[in-house]
Amino acid sequence: MSPRLLRWALLIGWVIVLLAVAVYTGHTLKLSTDLRSFMPPAQTPDQKLLMEQIGEGPGSRLLLLALSGDGEEQLAELSRRFSAALRQDAHFSQVVNGEFDAGLLDEALLPYRYLLTPSFDATPLDAATLADELGQRVEDLGSPAATLLKPILPRDPTLEIMKLAEQWSPPKQPLLRDGVWFSPEGEALLLVQTHAAGFDPAAQGEAIAAIESTFAANKAGSANARLVISGPGYFSVLVNASTRGESEWLGRISTVGFIILLLLAYRSVAVLGLAALPIASGALAGVAAIAVVFTEMHGITLAFGFTLLGVAQEYPIRLLSHRRAGETALESVRSLWPLLLTAIASACIAYLAFFASGVTGLMQLAVFTISGLLVAGFSTRYLLPRVLPPGFRDAADTPGLGRIWNWLEGLPRPRWLPPALLVIAALMLWSATTPFWQNDLASLTPVPKDLMQREGRLRAALGAPDVRYLLIVEAADAEGVLELSEKISPRIDALVEQGAVNAAELPSRYLPSLATQRTRQAALPDSPALAAMLADASQGLPFRAGLFQPFLDDVEKARTLEALSPAEFARSPIGARIEAMLVQRDGHWLGLGTIIGMQDPAAFDALARETDGAVRLLDLKGASESLVASYRERILHAFAIAIVLLVITVFIAFRDIHRAWHVLAPMTLATILVLAVLRAGGTSLSLFHLVALTLAAGLGLHYALFFERTTPDAAEARRTLHATLVCVISALLVFALLAWSSLPVLRAIGLTVSLGVGFHFCLSILMARKGRSRDAG
Amino acid sequence: MLILSCLANAAEVDPLALVNGLQRELPARTAYTEVRFSQMYDRAVIARGELEYLGPGKLGKRVDSPYVETTTIADGEVTIQRGSREPRRISLDRIPELEGFLRGFSALLGGDVAALQRDFEVQGSGSAEHWQLRLSPTDKRLKTRIEALQVDGAGSKARCFSIIDADADVSILMVEELATLTLPKPLTQKNVELTCRRGNSGP
Repeated sequence: MSPRLLRWALLIGWVIVLLAVAVYTGHTLKLSTDLRSFMPPAQTPDQKLLMEQIGEGPGSRLLLLALSGDGEEQLAELSRRFSAALRQDAHFSQVVNGEFDAGLLDEALLPYRYLLTPSFDATPLDAATLADELGQRVEDLGSPAATLLKPILPRDPTLEIMKLAEQWSPPKQPLLRDGVWFSPEGEALLLVQTHAAGFDPAAQGEAIAAIESTFAANKAGSANARLVISGPGYFSVLVNASTRGESEWLGRISTVGFIILLLLAYRSVAVLGLAALPIASGALAGVAAIAVVFTEMHGITLAFGFTLLGVAQEYPIRLLSHRRAGETALESVRSLWPLLLTAIASACIAYLAFFASGVTGLMQLAVFTISGLLVAGFSTRYLLPRVLPPGFRDAADTPGLGRIWNWLEGLPRPRWLPPALLVIAALMLWSATTPFWQNDLASLTPVPKDLMQREGRLRAALGAPDVRYLLIVEAADAEGVLELSEKISPRIDALVEQGAVNAAELPSRYLPSLATQRTRQAALPDSPALAAMLADASQGLPFRAGLFQPFLDDVEKARTLEALSPAEFARSPIGARIEAMLVQRDGHWLGLGTIIGMQDPAAFDALARETDGAVRLLDLKGASESLVASYRERILHAFAIAIVLLVITVFIAFRDIHRAWHVLAPMTLATILVLAVLRAGGTSLSLFHLVALTLAAGLGLHYALFFERTTPDAAEARRTLHATLVCVISALLVFALLAWSSLPVLRAIGLTVSLGVGFHFCLSILMARKGRSRDAG
Repeated sequence: MLILSCLANAAEVDPLALVNGLQRELPARTAYTEVRFSQMYDRAVIARGELEYLGPGKLGKRVDSPYVETTTIADGEVTIQRGSREPRRISLDRIPELEGFLRGFSALLGGDVAALQRDFEVQGSGSAEHWQLRLSPTDKRLKTRIEALQVDGAGSKARCFSIIDADADVSILMVEELATLTLPKPLTQKNVELTCRRGNSGP
């Protein structure tokens, strides 16, 4: 086979393998968006609860909907149609719009009202109570409300259904117009609870799409009506989309820039395509390795992984820039290989520390990065040289390169510069006033201010529960939770009275404990007794004899019913609420009370002390921040080990303390300088900064290694400069662009890597060993 | 009065002119006797008190016997005060049917023809001396609760307001001079309706 044919065969084979791997991973790998898989194992009970409840708490699964753009009457009508349609949709566990829902208790559960209602706790259901109630009904029937009451009166003369409906309506009732909720601004309001967790953007995306299509299908007749969605789930979808949208948009620009740069540098379209093969191989290998080892990959792993893998783009660039006349590509790569291998090996060994971290997300990141770097490196060594076309331009002949080299070489290299920089960096770090760490990950992907304001406005108008706080009621079983929440209910009322909180909802608000239900049941009069009381109470009243037979029947039924259990209650429309408020964990039951309008969290401390923590306030934000902090601690440990491993690898590779120092010192100083500049600019550091610093350090290692290398001649020195310049400019193209992003998370990565590349490049030149070839050529 | 006397000669009364003729000085007060016939009751229930109209959207109804209750409607809110109990307040928005009904009632007393026609279909019959207005709600939801609002009167004065519920229960308020009249015996719906039609000259 001719060499040319061999080259093509190898190239085609390589591409086919890549495609096969891509198809395989596309079929087997599941991309998870659930933030929890990227978090460390929870340590404290609150963190454990947080891991379960993050995004699943009743408050964070709520979506707030507002309808506007039409007359009040039309919007009310639309609200009724729209909610009826949404109630049929399996994505949602609850849809409320303020309508008095007579179907709140289904027909079968109606007799249970005498076990659920607190009406007869203080005064029993007797002749006196009945006489009072019936007298009031005569008056009611003479009042404007008569037409509303008539249908239910024979069955429910004491109006227990209405009293329960009132008890179960949100503690802070929104405005009602035309029978449905409205905001003061005239929008019809709806509350929708999704089955999906609030911070699972993929599942929330589906739920939101279902809402939008249902709205479109039901807006007939109000063509101008607009739907506004708000709530944590909506924001997680929005932030995800805008982050992806902006990074894709910036990515396209930097790709164009990158292509132009490579075309200018190597003047060959073929080379451009071939140079992409090693990094594509690395990325696919990384994804495939995860598909084999973990089967599921987190979205963040993928994003961080691709960022870190950016280092691998250097490998083909080094090879391309170092090709020279009279030497095959294979021969060129052989002479570069020891240095490249040192870089690859030290990076891979450093990333092993991530694997030991024990956090699934970080282990995935390690597997991805290590396999990616190895495959990218080895394919640059063994495959790329064999498919490169034989013809090329020597990078050393690039016009102007010699002048740049001379200028760089002519720069003064004062020995006091590094210590001086170190002192300045220390001063900058010391003088920074903002908190060192940013624990609130949400602040990196902020929701636009106007949307936040709208969220606050709708939440207040709807009296919707707080996303941040949960009132935990813990007991051995569900019954215990209900009993405890009945017991503390007066205390919570007192706290509302004091103004510590605007309102709170305990599970017992919806379902009394079995014990309470049985007490009420025992107090109900039997059928003959009730009939006698009724006859007694009706004396002098105009009610027709036999009118209240349905009432007698219901009370009799209630006397023999099994008390209503949470599981049974959950099957009724209102019961969906209790299902969200009672969860089982490790043989324990937790009641999740919702808080509306928290004013003074500290006021709940006394309650926690008295109940030995069985009743306590859970600050989800506080718990998630402590989780992030402990997560970062693990990452920092992994980093510390990684640095030690890196230093050892470099020393072993060089077997020369002096040379190793000249590689490691600029890297270290540059990293410290990046930190100092970020801190002096008021930035609090987050995980994203740490990942970006790692990438910058990886790139810096390359610059330092290659500048430290003793070059045999001036042309080779120019080739090194050429390769490094192409690497630096391409890194800046990508990351400086990100630094201009409107999203703090992209800005954090972009700014950190750009600063890093700049400092690493300058310092690796200024701190390089003296005595290398100084020929200007 | 000129219009009304002209109408006296017409075969059909002009209902809108009648409503116009009802307009009067504010505040307007009248004693009433209410007789209520309901399927839930085994006999007619009688209540006495005072009706008050204080201007658009402002109505008052006081019950003096057999119990004491004051209902005031103002600024879109119904306040019901019974005996010495805490007054109950209900926003009219929560009972849209009631809101429509009260709007109609208020428009009728205020002589606001345009407002009346917005929510009701208005029919008139009889003569200027013994006329009857029938207001049937046009709103679908109000219709499920209330069949019609009927007014009997003579000249520029209304004598009876009858509220006919969708389930055929009827509440008849006799006002002005009829309020103090001895009630017909036996106290049947038919007899009360006759009284409304004939005024004092009834049986």
